[in-house]
Amino acid sequence: MRAVRAALLAAGVAAGLWGVWLMRDFTSDRLVSAGTWLAGGIVLHDAVLAPLTVAIGVVAVRLLPGYFRAPMGLAFLVWATLTIVFVPVLSGQGGKPDNDTILNRPYVESWLVMTALLLVAAAAVGLLRRSRATRAAAPDPK
Amino acid sequence: MRLPTVDDVEKLIPRPEDFESRARGTGLTARVGTALGIAFAICFLTGIWSHLQYDPPGWLPLGPQPTQLYRITQGTHVITGIASIPLILVKLWSVFPRLFIRPPRGPRALLVEALERASIGALVGSSIFMLASGLLNIAQWYPWDFSFRATHYAVAWVAIGSLLVHIAVKLPVIRQALGAPISDAVDDDPADDVHDDHDDPESLTRRTVMLGAFASAGLAALLTAGQTVPFLRKISVFAVRDGEGPQGLPINRTAKAAGAVEAASDPSFVLEIIVDGVTTTLDRDQLAALPQRTHELPIACVEGWSRSASWTGVAVRDLLEMAGAPGRSEVLVRSMQTKGAFGTSVLPARFVEDHRTLLALQLNGEDLSLDHGFPCRIIAPNRPGVLQTKWVRQIEVRS
Repeated sequence: MRAVRAALLAAGVAAGLWGVWLMRDFTSDRLVSAGTWLAGGIVLHDAVLAPLTVAIGVVAVRLLPGYFRAPMGLAFLVWATLTIVFVPVLSGQGGKPDNDTILNRPYVESWLVMTALLLVAAAAVGLLRRSRATRAAAPDPK
Repeated sequence: MRLPTVDDVEKLIPRPEDFESRARGTGLTARVGTALGIAFAICFLTGIWSHLQYDPPGWLPLGPQPTQLYRITQGTHVITGIASIPLILVKLWSVFPRLFIRPPRGPRALLVEALERASIGALVGSSIFMLASGLLNIAQWYPWDFSFRATHYAVAWVAIGSLLVHIAVKLPVIRQALGAPISDAVDDDPADDVHDDHDDPESLTRRTVMLGAFASAGLAALLTAGQTVPFLRKISVFAVRDGEGPQGLPINRTAKAAGAVEAASDPSFVLEIIVDGVTTTLDRDQLAALPQRTHELPIACVEGWSRSASWTGVAVRDLLEMAGAPGRSEVLVRSMQTKGAFGTSVLPARFVEDHRTLLALQLNGEDLSLDHGFPCRIIAPNRPGVLQTKWVRQIEVRS
């Protein structure tokens, strides 16, 4: 395992340095822009998205009744990650005004439907779990 | 009143054990991370493959067979990249508390920690860069000043390199975590010291989060892949393209955007074929009078969309033969376009030899529309879309 780790480490450092070397001829404008995007991704995640997710979790745990927490948590995971994937098509940016073969679908409507479906599904699962639990806890009708 | 000390500030910063969710843990991180690592390997290899098409090295015999190969590799590249986004978000969520581990004491431990943190910074920064720049590029949204192609390529090496370093550092932890059930707290994650992951019906388990991450990755792929997978076209409601367009085919760049409208609509158009400094000219009627061939070939764009269409025109090798060029010729194709990149393309001899490599005049049974490259365009099997030069004005045999 030592040898495997050493080989991975060496290959990784070599590949990384090769990537840096490939940028040696970039103009300073391009380097600054690329650097902004490289660092910007970390800042956006670590300082905005991740704390926001934690905050939503903290609030949700205190507000949501027990049986809804897990289904809502799962629905949030799917909703939040997919929404980030769809940011470009939802943004109204991109494409070209003279080309209607790109970005030509009703994305916002689809996203609203997706959001509603996830909410309804999570609520249904939560209700189901609660009714199952109350039935199990109820005394035998016989 | 006194000024706050470093200790006062430090108390305000959360510690790893302050995070409440029991669903975080090495079992989850290692599993989602493994899936993400495989996805990155696929993206890296298909990406390198795509770069080789643009600038083929002598040692690589790229040719027209298999016809659908580039369509499949580039479609896979974009679909896998999209599916990676939910995976990386869940992966980062699962280790987020570790960001707040306090630096160790002692210069040696501090140096090791600093090096590992630097490698993780490179990994996270380059990974987010790759996924974000790729995702925006396929929507033709370029809110940056760098060259997408050169930078996406260079940073790919940084991403794959820092991923290999990360695997080297974490290999013992990964092996241990993958060998144990996902819910076991057998690792060095400080979050596990205070929490168990036993069946609590009220909160998410690690298994559910993992399945959620995989489901989300699968949904992201399914809801966008229709731009290249024909039977998913109706399902992929978030695809950048629905596969439709004039004459049954989407357009990447219009004649207007390429600055080709004026030259391409000029009725006095003649195609020039240059062989050994001798120019042969043909107008469009003469081209249409030559023996025509019809082939079903895909346009496969680097942006990850593709669609097959029926193309009719003159085989490039027939044109060259007529103009007296030697067999096995490589040709340089020049477009009338005045704006943007890829105004010329090189057709290697392997493509020229294939009778399916056409100077197309018609698309799906109609004369090419201006945006599809009227009066004539190149279409060849197994090539990136940008090399299928539109609005062709000149074909020059390279000796």
